[in-house]
Amino acid sequence: MTSADLRIAEGVERGPRVSFRCDGREVEAHEGESLAAALWASGLRADAGERTEGPPFRVLFCAMGVCQQCVVLVDGVRVEACRVPVRAGLDVRTQS
Amino acid sequence: MTRYDLAVIGGGIMGVTAALRAAAGGMRVVVLDRGGVGGEATGVNAGTLSLQIKRVALMPYALRGHEWWRIAGEAVGFHRTGGYTLAFNAREQALLEDRMRLKMEAGAPITFVSPAQVHAAEPALCDRIVAASYCAEDGHADSTRSGVYLRKLLRDAAIDVREHAPVVGVDSRDSGFSVRSATSSIDSTNILIASGAWTKSIAAMLGVVLPIEVRVNTVTVTEKGPMQLHSAIGHATGLLTLKQKDNGTFLIGGGWQGRGSPETGRGEVVAATMLQNLRLARFALPALAGVRAVRAWTGFDSFVPDNYPLAGVLPGVPGAFVLACVRGGYTIGPCIGPLMADLILGRSPELPLFDPARVLKMPAHA
Amino acid sequence: MSAMIDVIILGAGPAGAAAAVEAARRGLKVLLVDEAVAAGGQVYRIAPGIRARDATPEREAGDAIRASLAASRVDARFGHRVWQVERNAASFAVHTVNATGPVTLTARALIVAGGAVERHIPIDGWDRPGVMGLAGATVLLKAQCMLPGRDVVVAGAGPLLLAVAAGIVHGGGRVAAVVDLQPRSRWLRDWRSLASRPDLLARGARWMATLLASRTPMLHGSALRRIEGDPVVSAVVVTRLDAVGAVVADGVERTIACDAVCLGFGLHPATDITRLLGAAHAFDAAHGGWHVVTDEHQSTSIAGLFVCGDAAGIAGAAAAPWSGRVAAVAVDRHLGRVSAAEALSAVTPMVAKRDRAARFGRAMTQVAEGGDGIVLAIAPETPVCLCEQVSRATIDAAVDAGATTLSEVKSATRCGMGPCGGRLCEDAAARLIGLRTGTTRAAVGMATGRPPLRPVALDHLAGEFDYDALPIAQPSPL
Repeated sequence: MTSADLRIAEGVERGPRVSFRCDGREVEAHEGESLAAALWASGLRADAGERTEGPPFRVLFCAMGVCQQCVVLVDGVRVEACRVPVRAGLDVRTQS
Repeated sequence: MTRYDLAVIGGGIMGVTAALRAAAGGMRVVVLDRGGVGGEATGVNAGTLSLQIKRVALMPYALRGHEWWRIAGEAVGFHRTGGYTLAFNAREQALLEDRMRLKMEAGAPITFVSPAQVHAAEPALCDRIVAASYCAEDGHADSTRSGVYLRKLLRDAAIDVREHAPVVGVDSRDSGFSVRSATSSIDSTNILIASGAWTKSIAAMLGVVLPIEVRVNTVTVTEKGPMQLHSAIGHATGLLTLKQKDNGTFLIGGGWQGRGSPETGRGEVVAATMLQNLRLARFALPALAGVRAVRAWTGFDSFVPDNYPLAGVLPGVPGAFVLACVRGGYTIGPCIGPLMADLILGRSPELPLFDPARVLKMPAHA
Repeated sequence: MSAMIDVIILGAGPAGAAAAVEAARRGLKVLLVDEAVAAGGQVYRIAPGIRARDATPEREAGDAIRASLAASRVDARFGHRVWQVERNAASFAVHTVNATGPVTLTARALIVAGGAVERHIPIDGWDRPGVMGLAGATVLLKAQCMLPGRDVVVAGAGPLLLAVAAGIVHGGGRVAAVVDLQPRSRWLRDWRSLASRPDLLARGARWMATLLASRTPMLHGSALRRIEGDPVVSAVVVTRLDAVGAVVADGVERTIACDAVCLGFGLHPATDITRLLGAAHAFDAAHGGWHVVTDEHQSTSIAGLFVCGDAAGIAGAAAAPWSGRVAAVAVDRHLGRVSAAEALSAVTPMVAKRDRAARFGRAMTQVAEGGDGIVLAIAPETPVCLCEQVSRATIDAAVDAGATTLSEVKSATRCGMGPCGGRLCEDAAARLIGLRTGTTRAAVGMATGRPPLRPVALDHLAGEFDYDALPIAQPSPL
């Protein structure tokens, strides 16, 4: 990760590096961190397109599965990104 | 103290449409409600405006009521989408064909269509349809908008409204009635009890025992999703209503029973029955698999043993009228409310009403 | 067939976990349910595989809770999302879904330890990407060891303000400003209560020291007027408040550049489950607003239903385990397994410790109070309900057209009808209704609790089923 990475580097152990795809784009992350945090660290804040259904999408707001703004499709299932632990090969879509 | 010609106890679709007609006929009218206007059954039902689910004998009333909603239009989010009733096996097919034939004879513009025709119109429906019927007039409205709409109609007609004023007593007086709430009292020559699930307790205040029972109907709404369904969907048994609103949410109903009573004012969703409702919906529309339910609620629906309306004079109490227990009341209300007003105004209603005295001989089950 | 479970505990934070361990210690058959992957709730939340090498008191406290649970006879069910809770004649049914499908659990008694929810006050631009809650930022910092941004504005009210700001600085980020609703003096008002926990007071002082040493601008008695960005956050506009918390008219506004905003206004008790069950609730600002009514021993108006931790009234993490243990004893008594005298003897020292610890937590709750001034100042176009994008102007218009309750405003505007179930907007909507109709927040009330408690996919709810087995033999009347 670059020095602009929001992950706190000093004194933190993390799971092994893995990658997954979000809207077709490859994202690098650590196994076990929340999908919302991983997307946040990758620079994603919202989706680019005009969302037609659901609340306006934001990658992270409450971080505890309440606000419903971080809902994504993970392997075809709608789920709050903040509740999904990252593992290798996830297929994430921010739009249905 | 103001004296009214008519005090309507209950500000739902029944009471309000009756009040509007009575006021137009020259009466001085007040509408009272324990909560907000249109806040109970009228405001929480699934919004289905389908002729296919209306009872045969009530079809003429349904056709007229349906027209009122069509005219209300955008104010209540009315959409004439057309509707399909589905059968998934031979038994349901027999039920569908028998029932729809009777409804067609009663004047409803319903036709039978083939599964292929249904799929051409609604490709997302499951492939297990064996028989179906269709009505182009069917559609839905947004029941949650009823309150705002009815309140506006009352205001435009300069009808007095007392909201959040539960009636605690009704007494017969010389030439009229005194209707009491916690903080005030109203005098009126006539009263109309149009109190939905609370009709039994209001009638009891005048010493009349009506064998009314209450059902607790469940509705579930989903989150918004891509548009997959354009028509209103029903089931041969009447136990599923499924529609997708303009905003992409799905509304699932069909009269599955929660629990609760008007006495506590509150109904509760029962998971076991709600799930059966959802299973039926999921079966009919496989795309619902990944769609998330976000809220389920209940509304009260009252009925008497023969399942026909109470619409007429309150037995033994001249000047008191009752309008309640209309199955399919959301559609039928705008027709039968004004008919009641005509009766109260001393006119002859265009369609027959339903004498409440008939039920006094029927035992309540409760 | 196994015997009926004695008690199900909902929520594995410090209160729920302590309740579970105590109940198991007392010989009760206990199920502990949480949708997270491990115990700890929000305050001691962890993410798998992530660990700061330097142990913090919080990590240690959380690890101790997890270890104590693992060593106990508690049957812990993680990854279970509770969507409905029903009370039956002699039991409670808890309907959940997990990764494989629906799971229904039944027990003779129920302890709700659902914790707290963050309070939000809408601000122009709070819906911009790059804005997160203070509670969300806390989770990001502590559990994910990640910064919200490189140049962050931390704003609102309450103890999380300093914790988040200090956490960002400590993690190597910069805090562009701390914008605190409360005047500097507010912290000192309740010093006696704060002094009851010298360790926490010292921690707060260390946070302040970190912020002062980093020369973080601290703006007291101030609020965000607007959050700007296109669309991602790029700056905030800050305004001063007067002595009564109102926005100073034509006051000086400062623009501060930033790449993220962390925003929140204190915590209030999570009441979703208790509303669903129809328990009696009361409004008390000292407890964080609406909360379920509990007696000295965590009982509610419903027999067999107990509530502990912040869900019973904001009291903080130190009070939570004592509160949980009291609830466990109360369940033991409710099930008739110990006499009233035995229960009282067990519970009395726990109650004393709970109440002592709660003094600090309550004082912190007070610190987050206020905000009528900035609620009044919410601009008409500012979205109040984010799920349904309902603006203040829409809500005001509905009130002017005759809607007086949360339910009527909801029906008229869709405010609160989205998937978050009104959790983000109900408080603000109720305050707006109250301010416009001239009634108090308490008088406006709460919305009715409805299932599902969280959104759940129809397939997860339905599970496997056979169409022919559906009970649709009885059609509706012809």
